[in-house]
Amino acid sequence: MGLTNHFPALILAILLGISFLSPILFRWVRKASAPALLLSLFLALVMAVYLLIQTTQVGEFSYYMGGWPPPWGIELKINLIRAYMLIVVLAVSLWIMVYALKDLEHELKTDVLGWYYTLYALVVASMAGMALTNDLFNLFVLMEICAISACAIISIKEDRACLEASFKYLILSAMGTGCFLLGVAMVYMVTGHMNYDLVNEYLPVAVEQYPNNMFAASALFIVAFGTKAALFPLHVWLPDAHASAPSPSSAMLSGLVIKIYAFGLFIVFYQIFPRSLLDSIPLNEIILWLSSMGIMFGSIFAMVQVDLKKMLAYSSIGQIGYVFLGIGLDDTIAMTGGFYHLLVHAIMKSMLFMCAGVIIYTTGIRQIKQLGGIGQVLPITMIAFTIGSASMIGIPGTGGLISKWYLALGALEIGRPIFVVIILASSLLNAIYYMPIIVNAFMQQEEFAYEVKAVPRQMLIPLIIGMIAIVFLGVFSRPVIVLLENGLQLFF
Amino acid sequence: MLIKIAHNYYYMVAILLFIIGMHTMLTHSNLIKKVIAMNIMDTAVFLLFVAVGYTYGGAAPIVTAPANEVLYVNPLPGSLMLTGIVVAVSITAYALSLIVKIYRFYGTVDYDEICLIRSQE
Amino acid sequence: MGEATAITIILFVIFFPIVMTPILMSASGRSEKLRNILALLTSAITFIMVLTLYPFVVRGDIIQHTFFEILPNLEISIRLDVLSFSLTALASFIWFLCAIYSLDYMAEEHGGSRYYPVLIFTLGSCLGIFLAGDFFTLFVFFELMSLISYILVVHEETEEALKAGYKYLVMTIIGGLALFFGIIITFELGGTVSLGVGTIINEGSLLALLAFICFLIGFGMKAGMFPLHVWLPDAHPVAPSPASALLSGVMLKTGAYGLFRVIFNAFSIEVMQTSNWDIILGVLAVITILLGSAVALTQNDIKRRLAYSSVGQMGYVLLGLSILNENAITGTMFHIFSHAFMKSCLFLAAGAIIWKTGKRAISDLGGIGREMPFTMGCFSIAALAMIGIPPLNGFLSKWTLGLGALDANATIYVLVLLISSLLNALYYLPIIVPAFFEIVGEDHHGHALQFDVQDATPKMLASMVILAICTIIFGLSPINIPFDLSQMTSDFLLRGGLF
Repeated sequence: MGLTNHFPALILAILLGISFLSPILFRWVRKASAPALLLSLFLALVMAVYLLIQTTQVGEFSYYMGGWPPPWGIELKINLIRAYMLIVVLAVSLWIMVYALKDLEHELKTDVLGWYYTLYALVVASMAGMALTNDLFNLFVLMEICAISACAIISIKEDRACLEASFKYLILSAMGTGCFLLGVAMVYMVTGHMNYDLVNEYLPVAVEQYPNNMFAASALFIVAFGTKAALFPLHVWLPDAHASAPSPSSAMLSGLVIKIYAFGLFIVFYQIFPRSLLDSIPLNEIILWLSSMGIMFGSIFAMVQVDLKKMLAYSSIGQIGYVFLGIGLDDTIAMTGGFYHLLVHAIMKSMLFMCAGVIIYTTGIRQIKQLGGIGQVLPITMIAFTIGSASMIGIPGTGGLISKWYLALGALEIGRPIFVVIILASSLLNAIYYMPIIVNAFMQQEEFAYEVKAVPRQMLIPLIIGMIAIVFLGVFSRPVIVLLENGLQLFF
Repeated sequence: MLIKIAHNYYYMVAILLFIIGMHTMLTHSNLIKKVIAMNIMDTAVFLLFVAVGYTYGGAAPIVTAPANEVLYVNPLPGSLMLTGIVVAVSITAYALSLIVKIYRFYGTVDYDEICLIRSQE
Repeated sequence: MGEATAITIILFVIFFPIVMTPILMSASGRSEKLRNILALLTSAITFIMVLTLYPFVVRGDIIQHTFFEILPNLEISIRLDVLSFSLTALASFIWFLCAIYSLDYMAEEHGGSRYYPVLIFTLGSCLGIFLAGDFFTLFVFFELMSLISYILVVHEETEEALKAGYKYLVMTIIGGLALFFGIIITFELGGTVSLGVGTIINEGSLLALLAFICFLIGFGMKAGMFPLHVWLPDAHPVAPSPASALLSGVMLKTGAYGLFRVIFNAFSIEVMQTSNWDIILGVLAVITILLGSAVALTQNDIKRRLAYSSVGQMGYVLLGLSILNENAITGTMFHIFSHAFMKSCLFLAAGAIIWKTGKRAISDLGGIGREMPFTMGCFSIAALAMIGIPPLNGFLSKWTLGLGALDANATIYVLVLLISSLLNALYYLPIIVPAFFEIVGEDHHGHALQFDVQDATPKMLASMVILAICTIIFGLSPINIPFDLSQMTSDFLLRGGLF
């Protein structure tokens, strides 16, 4: 019993611990380093599942770091939504890591692999921390850890494009965290607290006394999380960064890292800010229109790309818009859709980047127009790509449909059918840029023109798991939806 | 109004520094200057935080047994900002190391020139 | 037999072909013969199993069964009533004949290992559409069928086919999204999308109109309704002929079926008429009929002409749906039957001719009737039925439709029917007459015109002849099962489409 009480802290401890151990293990017992990382990710996942079960039984509960209760200590909090985020982060990163083991041997120099594991574990640890923490300053520190390690898993590849992209990413995310910290300062000035719940308790009075302060703070928070999560028009760093990174890093960044900041914005809006603030300033309206523009422009930019990974990266800008749309619509149903999309997109976009990774691994091709006929030589990979794209478009039977269904239903619920039109229009745009790739891959008459290496089984198994997961989420969505609906009730 | 602003001049200075930093960071093409600007921006926030924690006439928050009635400066912002400085230093270190690598690859630290080189490839 | 038996049969009918698909795929690796026999058997068994549902339907049973809920109130369910039975039986019958025809036709084409599994899979999903118990299930199967049949459209893999296929794909996805929108609005307004509750939306609001338009786009696109017909004349001719026969003969009807369900189950006749939405449908139907027939006149490619003719003929179906009285619905329903028989027969015959001679242009086909008398005979019978010559079934459907139009005092619709019959005559007779009466020797360009061909193979002929016989006996014969079914359907739907 004693140990299980400390699970929230242990998850972070294990991940941070392995990030320090990885280079040492890699130096001395090279064979053990990758299994050790996988094992610790798995252990963390098991603990997260345990936390989820616990929170379904006892409801929301807190863990005080070092036994210090707030306002002195750092509080970690577990409720359904946080446990959900935690499981998404850990499960998807474990899954990506399985794939990464083989891919990285190809993309990175062998002697930096140990360092890659370190950075990877750091990214995961900081994201898990962001899901759990209940303290603004703690959130800031974790955001910075995440920013550095996320940039580093791009720049570890050390080619010209990666370095430039990761520098751009670093500068913009430094701007984002700077804005966040300034926002925190504004909040701290008027409330004197950092803990979410205490801030939330004092804010209603503070909003009346210092409306301008809170006005500035909310603007800063939107800029901060918007930059980090690539909310249009703050997305400029994303395409280069995600496209030039090694494929597992792209999967990680597009699949998880931008999502956790969307979650951060959700927490700020619905846990920290009092209802009166959201009602007095049209914050949600801003989020709604920015996300709608992101959805449309992301898809339109994606259409004109010639590089496969760049197209996928632009598509992420559109897809993160759905998550923000769910947050902005301010309705339980839409938000359920947004959070469901968070999971579905994490899986499908990671899978698509993995497919791109397999294509680059086996053939070295990056251009979309060179992919004609590739379906004959890489059938499983391209079937996975097809299922991922189908989910992007929202074909029935895939998870993408369920999230769109909920988002659209939520938009109708609050009487804004225009957003349904935007969702559908972007689905159509998705179809326009995903379909030709699939059609050319399978229907091209001429033989595939490039040399093809055999696909390692370690890369195919994650793809197959991903396909199953997407279809599963499309058919048996009930448990997750129920969990989300129950979880979101805490915030309304 | 003006008096109010004058009383809170340290806020204004912090915001001014923040804006200078942000503006330089986003508009200057020299990568080193971007990093310096980033530090200015972070420092602005640190100053603001520390200023928020300061109490007029307050003593240093050191626990000495009997002095109950002494007015203390709020120790929390200061300690938090120590962490913040550590974070800022690590980001600066990482950014500088990236710049070294970029200089090796491109032979310049000017972003416009890098873009030019990339567009010619 | 109880309800449980019926549910089992329905499930079997939908999933048997789908389950057989991977088996066919693996079988095609072993032996082509085994694969062909399996494909034929699958379609035959499916057809027979569909027929065993007949007793339930004549008893007037309605079977509505929910399996599980994907989301609250959004379920996967099945439904059997006389409307769904009629179309299921029709579809499986035509599929069976096309499978027979394919045996010889595909023997000399490439990619049989892809063609047969896809053919059988589309059968399953098509029956799934007709037997779906709510709009969501219907939508799932509709998308499944539309997307999978893309493979049939581009089967030839020529430049032209890929281009047509791409158009088809984009239109399908637009239609699918519109349907999705419509279903969401329906769900929002009515709280359910089940077909088992009668009328989901009881009054016409702006949102309801939006839903209706979305449904119209989604299903109308599939049914080749103007102005969403643009994919049809490109996509149908490029497919292999048995697939064209199915695309034109059966898959177009899924759109019409969807509109039936929308009008009678999502909305009701009262809503349609009080909100004047039937006029929207009527105007579109008239344009579709006239445009389809008129453009068909200008086509020289035989399959393209048939495809445009399909556009015009589907206009009849829409017309009947806009008139909405007993005779009109009977006529519409019966026209769905007759058009399936006629158009499949025409496409199969045209396919046989192209297969034998390699010629697609109508101007090159003079004298073909003497070389391929049976094929051309079937073609002629079906074409005459299209024109509406008594006692063929095309006449009966037009007659009933016309009666319906007169009942509704819409003389203009009767006029449209007559004009389009005239146009039909104008574009079908120039195929038939030269085929039999032009002297084989030289065409008008002075090229030697010699067909050194025999008539089509027995298997191909068999399916054509069966379809031709269907057009004859389901015309004015006293025992006319399709017509009875149509009358039952219209009776059933006008009683509220509920129980």
